[in-house]
Amino acid sequence: MTEQPTPTVDDLREIAEQVWAAYLDPEGVRPFLVGEPGEPATAVSASVSLTGGWHGHVVVSCSSGAARHAAAAFLAMEAGEVSDEDMTDVMGELANIVGGNVKSMLPAATAVSLPHVVAGADNRFPTTRRICELSGTWLDEPFSISMWQGRGLAEVPAA
Amino acid sequence: MRLILRRIVGQCGFEVLEAGDGRAALDLLGGLDTVPQLALVDWNMPNMDGLEFVAAAREDARLRDMTLVMVTTESEQSQIVRALAAGAHEYVIKPFTAEAMIDKLALLGLVPTGANT
Repeated sequence: MTEQPTPTVDDLREIAEQVWAAYLDPEGVRPFLVGEPGEPATAVSASVSLTGGWHGHVVVSCSSGAARHAAAAFLAMEAGEVSDEDMTDVMGELANIVGGNVKSMLPAATAVSLPHVVAGADNRFPTTRRICELSGTWLDEPFSISMWQGRGLAEVPAA
Repeated sequence: MRLILRRIVGQCGFEVLEAGDGRAALDLLGGLDTVPQLALVDWNMPNMDGLEFVAAAREDARLRDMTLVMVTTESEQSQIVRALAAGAHEYVIKPFTAEAMIDKLALLGLVPTGANT
């Protein structure tokens, strides 16, 4: 079976730069700082699933504080005005944008799902492995973008 | 995304109506006395996606003069061709800046000038 090329952390970095320039930091004063996040970025987790030519998930995770800042930046609101629904909508849209751009690097038959947002817990994807992750901080809050590739059943360790 | 688009086109003087998916948009359009000049259509929507909406809108003679712009992350050439073949007039790939959207609307003759002109 031919190994299919998959996006790398550099690809995720390029997509993130575009997202920050367009929505989260258009003035270039509040950049995403790539590095080790201070703590696991799992308070809010948004994902899209990719199926067809490639099977896996693209996940955008961050603290609730970062999600609030993201919603405020995205929607041109003050952070204090942001509702839980705003955070959910914006995190889902971020996953949609990142996942859609990742999709363009994958085999043509790949389709992207509607976004799924989980608050207060990490998304879990059985029978997958993380193939790359861009992690760091934004406004001193943990933030990460990761890709999880589905494994063939033969690759899944026995329970 | 709808709030971002509302803000951008609102600044250009458009009155904005929103729908959560293609089916809801068709229902909304069916109840209007005046057909909008412009529809900004996401591809990835529940119930009826953007491509299906564009095809349905193109089959409705009443909506013939409405400009259809796909706003989507579907950036592959083949997908752009599919959208244009279905009847979309233009295509904006996410992430986009407000300036890029205004330039696109200027290209379509919907606003007087682009953001950079």
